[in-house]
Amino acid sequence: MVEERRWIAPADFAEVLALCQFLPGPNVGNVSIVLGRRWFGPVGSLVAFAGLMALPLVWVFALALLYADFSSNPAVRAVVTGVGIAGGGLFIGTAFKLAKPLARKPWGIALAVGCFGVIALGRVSLFAVLPVAALLGWLAARKGVL
Amino acid sequence: MLQLAGYFALLSLVSVGGIPSVMSEMQRVVVDVQGWMSAAEYTQLFAIAQAAPGPNVLVTALIGWKVAGFSGGFVALGAFCGPAAALAYWVGGYWDRMRDAAWRKLLQRALVPISVGFIVSGGYVLATPQGLSWQGALIAGASAAALYATKLNPLWILAAGGLLGFLLF
Repeated sequence: MVEERRWIAPADFAEVLALCQFLPGPNVGNVSIVLGRRWFGPVGSLVAFAGLMALPLVWVFALALLYADFSSNPAVRAVVTGVGIAGGGLFIGTAFKLAKPLARKPWGIALAVGCFGVIALGRVSLFAVLPVAALLGWLAARKGVL
Repeated sequence: MLQLAGYFALLSLVSVGGIPSVMSEMQRVVVDVQGWMSAAEYTQLFAIAQAAPGPNVLVTALIGWKVAGFSGGFVALGAFCGPAAALAYWVGGYWDRMRDAAWRKLLQRALVPISVGFIVSGGYVLATPQGLSWQGALIAGASAAALYATKLNPLWILAAGGLLGFLLF
């Protein structure tokens, strides 16, 4: 949209992306909603979202059906499990990239490690953790240590 | 199915940082609390969503499909995207005013370490479907390091994970 069709200026697009990364929900999905609204109102949002999801949805269901046929085969299961674990590893790598600005902020590191401890190891509900963590983070940010 | 839809709709509104942030919480409810599938099946569904082209939010459709068939898939995807989309639609009109507000910048800074903790949790939970194992730790560690330190296309990293899975499991 930015480079080929020139529907939107790069700076403008970066602005929309920043908004959608700040908001909850799937980032690309939110981008489609915001841009769809900007150009064509509510119908634009719906159409943009459906357009983004429709074909990938067909793909993912096709792959899932194919896997369902072969999931009793231990070798196939091992490969797919390996892919899933590698996908988990990708999340961890992404998080470490995201954490680069925290390198010199011990409070930030403590908050991140704390969230990991209670969510992944303690298995506490995210709905309980998020408000507490957000409050702590907010206070730390206001004190200028985050 | 209603239970699934209601839960995903709530989850939608706390998914700061997108799908990776809530994969751990979703697994807790889908596997531990409701018992709709095993941890191994959860990791396998995630693998399919990662390997297929398209946004990773489609894993919600696969979870819904596993629980309640195709209609479950559509409902789960809609429930997870709907509330966040409504919020994005509404906030889209106010963003110009919000963007430079002091509270928003503070909140954004506060959310960085939280997202980091949540996303690592998601990765950890997905990488340990049968508890901690050296095979799992090796695959996940190598894949995290490859993403962090190289510019490899993530699809190659996933493919390598599949190969290692074949050899080690």
